[in-house]
Amino acid sequence: MSLRPFTSESYSEDDRPEAWRDVLSSIGLQPTAATTTHHGHATAVRRTFEGIALAKLSAGAQAISPLSDLASDHPLVLLPLEDGVALKTTAGHQIVAVGHLLLLPRKGDWSVAFQRDMRAVVLSVTSDPLHSRRASAPAIPDVQIIGPGGFGDVFARMMEQAARNLETLSDAEWLAIAQSLADLLPTFTRQLAEPTADLNSGTATKAATLHRLCQTIERRLDDADLTPAKVAQAEGISERYLQKLFEGTGSSFTHYLRERRLQRTWADLSNPSEANHSISEIAFSAGFNDSAHFSRTFRHRFGLSPREFRQNEAERLTASATAAGQRGWPQEALAQLRSQHAPSTTGKIAQPEPAETITHGIADASKNLRHHHLAADASRVHWGYFSRSLPPQIEINSGDTITIETLTQHASDDPERMIKGDIGAESVFCWTRDQKNVDRRGAGPMDASIYGRGAGEGFGVHICTGPVAIRDAQPGDVLEIRILDIVPRASRNPDFDGQVFGSSVAAWWGYHYKEFLAEQNTREAVTIYEILDHDDVPYARALYSYRWEPQTDPFGTVHNTYDYPGIPITPASVRRRHDVLDGIRIPLRPHFGVIAVAPREADLVDSVPPAYFGGNLDNWRLGKGSTVYLPVSVPGALLSVGDPHAAQGDGELGGTAIECSMTGTFQVVLHKKGNLAGQAFADLTYPLIETESDWVLMGFSHPNYLAEFGAKGQSEVYATSSLDLAMKDAFRKMRRFLMNIKGLTEDEAIALMSVAVDFGVTQVVDGNWGVHAILSKRVFDHTSKS
Amino acid sequence: MKHHLLPVSPKTVHWGYFSKVVTPALTLKSGDRATIETLTHHANDDYERMIEGDPGAESVFKWTREHKAIVRRGSGPTEGPFIRGSGEGVGVHLLTGPVAIEGAEPGDVLEVRILDVRPRPACKACHAGKCFGSNVAANWGFHYHDLIEEPKPREVVTIFELDTSGEPFARAVYNYVWTPQIDPDGILHPTIDYPGVRVDHATIRKRENILPNVRVPARLHFGTMGLAPSEEDFVSSIPPSYTGGNIDDWRVGKGAKMFYPVAVPGAFFSVGDPHAAQGDSELGGTAIETSLTGDFEFILHKHRDLGGTALEGLTHPMLETADAWSVYGFTFPNYLAELGAKAQLDVANHSSLDRAMRDAFRKLRRFLMTVHKMSEDEAISLMSVGADFGVTQVVDANWGVHGTIRKNVFRCD
Repeated sequence: MSLRPFTSESYSEDDRPEAWRDVLSSIGLQPTAATTTHHGHATAVRRTFEGIALAKLSAGAQAISPLSDLASDHPLVLLPLEDGVALKTTAGHQIVAVGHLLLLPRKGDWSVAFQRDMRAVVLSVTSDPLHSRRASAPAIPDVQIIGPGGFGDVFARMMEQAARNLETLSDAEWLAIAQSLADLLPTFTRQLAEPTADLNSGTATKAATLHRLCQTIERRLDDADLTPAKVAQAEGISERYLQKLFEGTGSSFTHYLRERRLQRTWADLSNPSEANHSISEIAFSAGFNDSAHFSRTFRHRFGLSPREFRQNEAERLTASATAAGQRGWPQEALAQLRSQHAPSTTGKIAQPEPAETITHGIADASKNLRHHHLAADASRVHWGYFSRSLPPQIEINSGDTITIETLTQHASDDPERMIKGDIGAESVFCWTRDQKNVDRRGAGPMDASIYGRGAGEGFGVHICTGPVAIRDAQPGDVLEIRILDIVPRASRNPDFDGQVFGSSVAAWWGYHYKEFLAEQNTREAVTIYEILDHDDVPYARALYSYRWEPQTDPFGTVHNTYDYPGIPITPASVRRRHDVLDGIRIPLRPHFGVIAVAPREADLVDSVPPAYFGGNLDNWRLGKGSTVYLPVSVPGALLSVGDPHAAQGDGELGGTAIECSMTGTFQVVLHKKGNLAGQAFADLTYPLIETESDWVLMGFSHPNYLAEFGAKGQSEVYATSSLDLAMKDAFRKMRRFLMNIKGLTEDEAIALMSVAVDFGVTQVVDGNWGVHAILSKRVFDHTSKS
Repeated sequence: MKHHLLPVSPKTVHWGYFSKVVTPALTLKSGDRATIETLTHHANDDYERMIEGDPGAESVFKWTREHKAIVRRGSGPTEGPFIRGSGEGVGVHLLTGPVAIEGAEPGDVLEVRILDVRPRPACKACHAGKCFGSNVAANWGFHYHDLIEEPKPREVVTIFELDTSGEPFARAVYNYVWTPQIDPDGILHPTIDYPGVRVDHATIRKRENILPNVRVPARLHFGTMGLAPSEEDFVSSIPPSYTGGNIDDWRVGKGAKMFYPVAVPGAFFSVGDPHAAQGDSELGGTAIETSLTGDFEFILHKHRDLGGTALEGLTHPMLETADAWSVYGFTFPNYLAELGAKAQLDVANHSSLDRAMRDAFRKLRRFLMTVHKMSEDEAISLMSVGADFGVTQVVDANWGVHGTIRKNVFRCD
């Protein structure tokens, strides 16, 4: 009954092919000979019960074949998810579309190739658990493909749903499901083994004809005058035979047609992308030419009028995104996106002026190291997303130092104190009725067709300065970013000259948001802090706070919640409370929440969830004197920095830190792939932080959510985050670090983790929740006593 | 103020459970101090180093076919036939006590100050004066179903020696993979499923030179300290809960003050599960389990006096150190009340950090609002920017997340 999770994150890159081979072999598969074994990111969940194994696999492109030494009469059942597969048999090649089941004999000359990503559910039943059952089935000789519909559908759904819930099913539940699957499998294969009998009886022909009739009806639903005669004619059969065929299904043509029409309207009314069509337009397109009649029929069928139904659906959609505290893309929108073409970034990303950053040679002339400066300015920032397609602002050499000005996206919470008079900030935040200097804010659509919040939809919120390209950086290299200095950016408003301010928002994406004590209403509260950096013990103190009130942005869109970054707050629109957090001093921990290299998987990536490429790490240990190592994924690395924080607690509970514009000075060192051996950052597929005293490894709920979930990643990661998953990832990373970098055995590594490694909560608000593992350097940092 | 001594002996320990019905080993008054010896229940992982020649330890661990000094180990059944043994190992920690506090009533809060903590040296001649501990990567560890090397699964015992000559640290001496052990009553223990079974060193293969050059900084503390809950007579010592217990926070060491809500008359304080070092999460299932002796001071805070103090409204364990306050969140804040009759076993089926985090958040919010008179909005803002949440443990069935707020936050202008 054991549950066996697998992730490639447990293994060094060299060990991954072998580890993955083990996973495949446990379900009777192996990599197809002559193809290279998959060595990239891969995850799998397997659960077994007495010879029954169900596995959900998620990995990169590859081909698989049967592992012939596993004796069983029962075929493997493979269900491709998300994308079709290429099946190769002795009979030739064949493309099998998503949603089809493949019954694959254990012995045989076949291979299944996943051209893009491997996402599949596999059921393996060996003979043993079925020996006791009377109904033994003949083995199938060839690969069988089962199309959607009927028993195949039931079976596929059950497999898929069981696989999705493998980790949460109790033992008893899993046992029941495993047995049911094993029970159903022989029924399935027996039917297949006797296909000729069915054909002779003519049932199959009838079914095929009926299927074609249904397709014709589907195509012509908009025809209000669709009659049995028309359909029959189109298929070349008699109207009488058509009626008979439908009667055979326990229905009638008229009834079937009306049901299909209603279902079509139901689907369209609940689809946000159809929102621009009126109800009568939708009714008409489904063949209802009388609105009143449609309305009655609809209510009779679904219990609600079309109008009520549509309204409910719209509210549900909005609520599911905000009330659930979920940021980022809604599932529905991604599904639509996927059915269309991949989003083009052309013309959507602000094209900077040719980089004219101040570059002057200094310091170590012998090594020809240079210092660069990247100022914050509308043309130097990208807002709310990372992208491999962004042209670099500047290219620097390994070893160069660079000063990067960063702005907090929360400066607009008090524009008087944090924007006014500051040319750079004014340029970035400039947003009037006629002009918005940085239009795209987030990775969403530029036309805001999902929620209507604004360009980019706020799917990602951080103002990132960059990207900075590092000469010669290639995927597989490691980029070391040393934080030499962090200086807060003082107000340039003469009224507050030299003072430093920050903002913290207890926002709708905060951990607390679902359970307020006081009052019934949910609310968002903004607290403005002053940063006092000159004291012996630098600290922040609260100046005032206000509750978020619906804000109308300069383009006229109303924001009921803090759902889009950079909306300038006018003092008149909110009520300030001044006696907040009296006597409380928050010790400073200046750091950058976001340090990222561009991810390889997608063109536009929401800046909120952190992952293997760094990003919104939100770990306050990433301050002055510390270093972060990131795996390079795209040529040039494309380093971006932002989300400056004056102080943050482990957890970042309310959703934000004390967000405060700051300028950082960094030294950036490129470590080529060939020179990583023996270094602490060899074998790096995740962000690694080094401080003076510690190694800090960053674990996430989904270490590479983009690869793990594919197209759905940017939504799914918000929906499925958990500290339990992040803890697992942190454990696996630390084990890997201790084994591969420190040369310990697994037993030594686990003993050491138990007694000397501290696991803490990084954040529970960034979609991809984080747990970090801290290993004190002191543990190793001495000569042997013996 | 009186100073009491509570050495370990079969009369002064109870094994694997908290109980309101066990006769107190000591009764004292608020303000009194006591030196209390504790033994690690893992001492039998290396009898020679951790028990042999130590009269106290020998008397407690004594177990032959004829005589088992402490019969009941755990809150499980005490009538046979047994699967694992009396008490069935539903709870494993050797606890010294209970210590009854005169006048303590439900609703009061007991403050326990740890004045000093000292390791208990070995007595056997060849190891005399040295201090040893055992770490077990056990079947209840977080890693157990996620191993990558063979054989899978396996339990591994690592014996550590504590060096206190300078800055104290521990280093590994040897390790071994657990092999099935037969106890003196003839019951086979294929895994570590019952405490105090002496490991026959003839059945194991010792691997030396492990963790070479690794020094584990010492963090002497008591993993399990707490009061008897009111819900049941015998309560497993494994899941921590509202009266404390197996909290497993390494910060509960010298200089720390723990506060517990009193649930039964007399409070019934017990202490054990001594640790030489542990990381946040106690990942493999145990710390460096090392017998320790502590000096404690007990202060009873009567319910009527709690208003306006840091203890107002306290319904859960809380820690005060020199620098910070910590509250303890659990998967179930009071699993006995929440899960009902089968709670002591059922709690292990629901372990989750996510629920523990939520509990820690609620407890810290309550602390800031009740004690520091903050509004909810203030409390949430402060937690976001100034409070740290960490993983206490993921191995004690009722998993823990602690929320910590530094005292210097509250320095007045």
